[in-house]
Amino acid sequence: MAKVYTGRDGVMQLAGTTLAKVVNFAVSSNLETLETTTLGDGVRSYSPGVTGYSGSATLLYYKDDNNAINTTNLLNKIYKTGTSGVSSTDTVELTFRWVDGTDNNDIKLTAYITSANIGAATGDIVRAEIAFQGTGALATVTV
Amino acid sequence: MAFPAHKPTGRSFDAGDYRYKTFSSQSGKEHRILYGDKRTGMTLQLQYANIADTAADDFITHYDEVKGGFDVFTLPSEFRAGWSGDAAAIDAATGNKWRYESPPQISSVRPGTSSVTVNLIGVL
Repeated sequence: MAKVYTGRDGVMQLAGTTLAKVVNFAVSSNLETLETTTLGDGVRSYSPGVTGYSGSATLLYYKDDNNAINTTNLLNKIYKTGTSGVSSTDTVELTFRWVDGTDNNDIKLTAYITSANIGAATGDIVRAEIAFQGTGALATVTV
Repeated sequence: MAFPAHKPTGRSFDAGDYRYKTFSSQSGKEHRILYGDKRTGMTLQLQYANIADTAADDFITHYDEVKGGFDVFTLPSEFRAGWSGDAAAIDAATGNKWRYESPPQISSVRPGTSSVTVNLIGVL
């Protein structure tokens, strides 16, 4: 059946578990193009270079009935104690899903959290904004 | 093997000069003595961006064939791609041939793709 997807159909998962209170997410793919135009050509030509993936998401800072915070496993990849900083094991497995009944359209990737922003403001709900950089190939693409 | 007949993606030419010496008298008048009637020392930089590695290695093969900067050679017409002026104007001047001024530089861009820069100098 024909369908136009909306925000209600969007799901964001961390390591296969759906994250609660996701306000928005975006996944970007970019292809580096290598110019192969030579002197004398009147039209530019290109070869495909390296592809990469990145994106961002905003989540409400939310504690569930079990006192678990929905953003913990994202934020603790970049908000860290100690002097070691972020290591190569600090990746997250993210799945971005568009749902149509039992039909799921997914983009699944491994990523580093490259920025996180959380605060508090009078009269406003606390939100955590994150940005991520994909590493390696996509694990699943069904879009 | 002749110089690789690939079209460059960038080209820079310096016309060189005639050989002469300049002397200044105490009065400030300049005297010049011409030692040759041929222009020489022209330089040419050719850039080949994002070409296949199999094309990039042609430059190393040619560099070996001419014993690096030792032997002289001529260039195929492809090096003038896009130039609509007199063909001789950006080539080695009369009596000159090209030799490598420095080794070809190859930068790897991605698997299978490289960029090459070649610096040549015209010599009599």
